[in-house]
Amino acid sequence: MLKILAGLMQMINGLNKAVGYTLAWLALGIVLICFSVVVERYFFSNTRLWAQDLYIWLNGAMFTGVAGLALYRGDHVRVDIFYRAANKRRKAIADFIGVVLFLLPFMYVVYTYSLSFVQRSWRLFEGSANVGGMPGLFVLKSFIIVFAVLVALQGISMIIRSILILNQREDLVPVDYRYEEPVIEYSKE
Amino acid sequence: MDPVLIGEILSGLMFFGVIGMLMLGFPVAFTLAGTSLIFAFVGYHLDIFTFSSFTAMAGRYTGFMTNEVLVAVPLFIFMGVMLERSRIAEQLLMTMSKLFGNLRGGLGISVILVGALLAASTGVVGATVVTMGLISLPAMLRAKYDPKLATGVICASGTLGQIIPPSTVLIFMAEMLAGINSQVQMAKGNFAPDPVSVGDLFAGAFIPGLLLVGLYLLWMIFKAITDPESCPATPVPEEERKGLLKQVFTALVPPLVLIISVLGSILWGIATPTEAASVGAVGAMLLAAMRWRLSFQVLKEAVIATATITSMIFIILFGASIFAIVFRQLGGDNLVHEFLSDLPGGAIGAMIVVMLIMFVLGFILDTFEIIFIVIPITAPILLMLGLDPVWVGVMVGVNLQTSFLTPPFGFSLFYLRGVAPPTVSTGQIYKGAIPFVVLQIVAIALLFIFPELVTWLPKALYN
Repeated sequence: MLKILAGLMQMINGLNKAVGYTLAWLALGIVLICFSVVVERYFFSNTRLWAQDLYIWLNGAMFTGVAGLALYRGDHVRVDIFYRAANKRRKAIADFIGVVLFLLPFMYVVYTYSLSFVQRSWRLFEGSANVGGMPGLFVLKSFIIVFAVLVALQGISMIIRSILILNQREDLVPVDYRYEEPVIEYSKE
Repeated sequence: MDPVLIGEILSGLMFFGVIGMLMLGFPVAFTLAGTSLIFAFVGYHLDIFTFSSFTAMAGRYTGFMTNEVLVAVPLFIFMGVMLERSRIAEQLLMTMSKLFGNLRGGLGISVILVGALLAASTGVVGATVVTMGLISLPAMLRAKYDPKLATGVICASGTLGQIIPPSTVLIFMAEMLAGINSQVQMAKGNFAPDPVSVGDLFAGAFIPGLLLVGLYLLWMIFKAITDPESCPATPVPEEERKGLLKQVFTALVPPLVLIISVLGSILWGIATPTEAASVGAVGAMLLAAMRWRLSFQVLKEAVIATATITSMIFIILFGASIFAIVFRQLGGDNLVHEFLSDLPGGAIGAMIVVMLIMFVLGFILDTFEIIFIVIPITAPILLMLGLDPVWVGVMVGVNLQTSFLTPPFGFSLFYLRGVAPPTVSTGQIYKGAIPFVVLQIVAIALLFIFPELVTWLPKALYN
């Protein structure tokens, strides 16, 4: 049973790593497209309006699409006054509670209350509000749903990690996904 | 019981509930939203909350995802990460240390100057403190610096990123204050208010940033004169000094030119912050390429760091929006309004209270959480009472910066503890920070007494 759960966890992690590490390259896209817009504007007095929308939208797609990966990597900031010094069991319990009580309801609300908003956009094949702007605003808006799904899945992966740790099966958790040993405050006055 | 009163009590409980729940240690963005939803659920059962309020959420999120100004955030982060990963920042620090090493207190001075410059490129507290903690702290300890002074100067210089433009904190603050200010002016009957821009906030923070750097430098010089033992000179060997001029031109001048031109073009209104940031990001790549350091690996590390840091910040904004929606509907805004308007001392009294609250929050929360939660609920009242939006933004920045430096909870101190050698005790780090906290308080007092220090430059540049 635990092995099946571990397999599911690995699949979710794999998905978020694949999506996240791919979408992270949008950062380079933002830099290059924005820079080319600047060069065109200042040196060739030319503005391609769609390009102006594009780099802005890429940012939106990037930060929503990478959120699950950031959760996997533990990049989301925590208030670690107590968490830092907690042992693995306590961290597992804290994460379990957090996912069930905070993360999943949050993602449920995001999903539920965005769905019709995104569907409407698809029906209209909504484009940029700017004249001459990018088509396909509905694709960008869909990233709200993508975000909710990817983060909720990663939350489930975190629950599985907690279950495995609490069942003394840390060996089933990949090394980079394990909890660090508690940081012991060094003090020598 | 009166539903309005119940709502206000509930919103008050929610504020403290969020802080309590955060102690669990679960990522802030989700705790913030999740706790708010729990209170929304309670409110729903007491008939003072309707879930239809959340229909506004998707529109808000789309607003963040299509916001031109906020794209400056990933661009500046990319620039900073690039300078760091390609080890340009490190070289800058080493060259600067050699340049000032022959002076008493010279290493400290180089840390302050590099802190100010790096601050200008990252705006992320942790990165600067860690870089300097790894490079400068061992160098200063080898030079027999007093560990208290060495750690204090590193922690303080590392926090400068909060306030010295182009800080990412100021970008978000400007974006929020702009919206709030236009609403407030509208409510006051001013239908054509001066818009608040990122440029305004950058210009407003410029002189206070210099003031802080100046105060730190003066303290360092004061220590060098009155207590030479605490910060001895580190003579640079003859053979190294020969190559120094060349090093200055290769390691020091290029990043300096990059940072100054990016900042300058924003302040002089030549480019928007986003445009300037993209030039800065490309410039950082060029600098790395010129040193043959722009490998695929470095580029990959830079995009991953940029994407995950940006995501982390924006997702907090997502979570804070849920908090804001619930807090408002429960009547929390009114509660805050009544509380702040009835304080003795009018606008200044209200400002002092908000500053104190933020200062205390700074012990447990990071900048972004604090400004995303506190600015939307307090700034409308502060601006309504007639305070200048740019001044409010800059004061908040300096205030949070001070908070991050204050023992025993300051973030900066924790970051340095993480990289400092075990021979340096936590007590020494705490004691070392205290003189700099005093300098911060002096600066805040000066900005309170002479608000022109903030408001003069934006007016001079943009009017």
